[in-house]
Amino acid sequence: MSADGEAAPTRDLLDDAPCGFLLIDELGQVISANRTLSEWIGVAPDDITGRSVTAIFGLASSVVFETSLLPLLRLQQDVSGVSLDLAANDGTSTPVMISANTHGDGASRITRLVLVKAAARREYERELIDARASAETRLSAEQDHGELREQFVAVLGHDLRNPVASMSSAIRMLSRDLDEAKKAELLLLMQGSVQRMSRLIDNVLDFARNRLGGGIELDIGNGDLKSAIVQAVDELKSVDPNREIELDLSITEQVDCDTWRIGQLVSNLLGNALVHGDPAHPVTLDVSTQAPGHLEISVCNKGEPIPDESMAKLFDPFERNGAAGKQGLGLGLYIASEIAKAHGGAIDVTCDEVICFTFRMPAAA
Amino acid sequence: MMFAHGFGCDQTMWRLVAPGFETNFGVVTFDYLGAGGSDKSAYDRDRYASLAGYVSDVVEIGRELDLRDAVFVGHSASAMIGALAAIREPDMFSDLVMVCPSPRYVDGPDTGHRGGFSQGDIDNLIRSLEENPLAWSASMAPAIMGTPKDPMLGAELTESFCRLDPRIARDFARAIFNADNRADLPNVTARTLILQCRQDILAEVSVGEYVRDMVPDSSLVVLDATGHCPHLSAPDQVVAAMRGFL
Repeated sequence: MSADGEAAPTRDLLDDAPCGFLLIDELGQVISANRTLSEWIGVAPDDITGRSVTAIFGLASSVVFETSLLPLLRLQQDVSGVSLDLAANDGTSTPVMISANTHGDGASRITRLVLVKAAARREYERELIDARASAETRLSAEQDHGELREQFVAVLGHDLRNPVASMSSAIRMLSRDLDEAKKAELLLLMQGSVQRMSRLIDNVLDFARNRLGGGIELDIGNGDLKSAIVQAVDELKSVDPNREIELDLSITEQVDCDTWRIGQLVSNLLGNALVHGDPAHPVTLDVSTQAPGHLEISVCNKGEPIPDESMAKLFDPFERNGAAGKQGLGLGLYIASEIAKAHGGAIDVTCDEVICFTFRMPAAA
Repeated sequence: MMFAHGFGCDQTMWRLVAPGFETNFGVVTFDYLGAGGSDKSAYDRDRYASLAGYVSDVVEIGRELDLRDAVFVGHSASAMIGALAAIREPDMFSDLVMVCPSPRYVDGPDTGHRGGFSQGDIDNLIRSLEENPLAWSASMAPAIMGTPKDPMLGAELTESFCRLDPRIARDFARAIFNADNRADLPNVTARTLILQCRQDILAEVSVGEYVRDMVPDSSLVVLDATGHCPHLSAPDQVVAAMRGFL
């Protein structure tokens, strides 16, 4: 076989291999490149020769090449698996994987590079990175949830203990010989405790349903609105007979709503006003219907103004708004606002001389 | 004498230069946070959002070592970090060696400043470093394949050299390439040597001339070397120029 015959397959392999070959000198100038590489970057092989090697890369890649790859080659003569971008003449960019080694000393030092197209791999790596980021986000959301749940259970336990303790002591007292008046007083107290527990349980169940995505379910037209509101007021009065609640009811128009839920909303707003309001002043409750289907319920109390930082989070679950030591899961206002939303309404807060929570349905435009 | 590495690698970059000064100087080399053997858990994005965080680290090292009238040798970004440290603590560093410095990479068409990059270039650069964090995959590899052919390298050194945390490297790139320290240069009181290479894509010779013109007590030596890392490609020239200066 002639020398030509032997060289031809080798030349063919080098020129048309499915990878780029590149030889560079000590100064970082291209000594030669194979045809595959020259086609990838759209530059004739002869035109690559003598160029600075960084010219075949995009800007970021040339900076990484210069500041990281070349120093590594100097330090260890061998680098593999570097992920860079080729910049073609027509402006397109090709992700490649590069392995390189260096031989020789001083001016005769030669560096060989092999470049393999790596678009699919780059895509896969990017997907892995995205997947990790979204897993991290989910994990942190789950951790927040977990914390919330723990806190919730702790608060619930704490808040149920008070009415249970007062029930227990009332039962102990009832087992003794007492006059009728004292018994009646105790039974009233027990009734109040039961109502407190029952409200807590209602709120917890609503919260759980809402968190599970069920939302607040409405049963429209399920009873008399007026008596539902009066009942809510009476319940709260029976718990704390010393507190005054001034009720102004003016329901003149037909309103489609879930009366039991509106009663719960009123109860939660009143409960909030009784906890936070100044006990020396009455809490007022105004209920009116300006037009058919329009309902406005306003609960107002005097007391310490709501701090600005609390305002934004007023309706968030578990926000107890500085009511440390006071009763409540911090769910009352959250559930009231969910009931308002379910009715296509909203609760607005004004905080001037008096603090007013006003439910309007439909919501003010 | 304190040696500070630049962007893209770590203190091993100085291993062909720093030992040459050990007989006459106490030599200190270190890794910035995110590079080499540094404690990556100490990273604080806000602190290192600009070069100021790195300057504070240099000053802290200097205080810890009780440096007085020391020589600071900084490559690339570290040249500016050194300049800022020397302005902040003039008694700590009496001499500066800036290897391939650039006070401002972005061109200023209105002022005629030539940094070599447009703002678009820099934005692209940061974006593609973000999109391709594996650009450093070779330098990130925990163990580099094969045995180093250079007998000077110990195995434990090979394990970590030029290893970068890609996220920190990206933030570092953003801090470096968006920095503008031109106004600081006239405030440098330390005696300054500027070393520049031919054909450095990051800092042309004209940038070195600009730094020389702006730093009061400075001189420029253009090395017979190409690229951005003469301390690796032409260490003898770097050592000779530094000896002449000192």
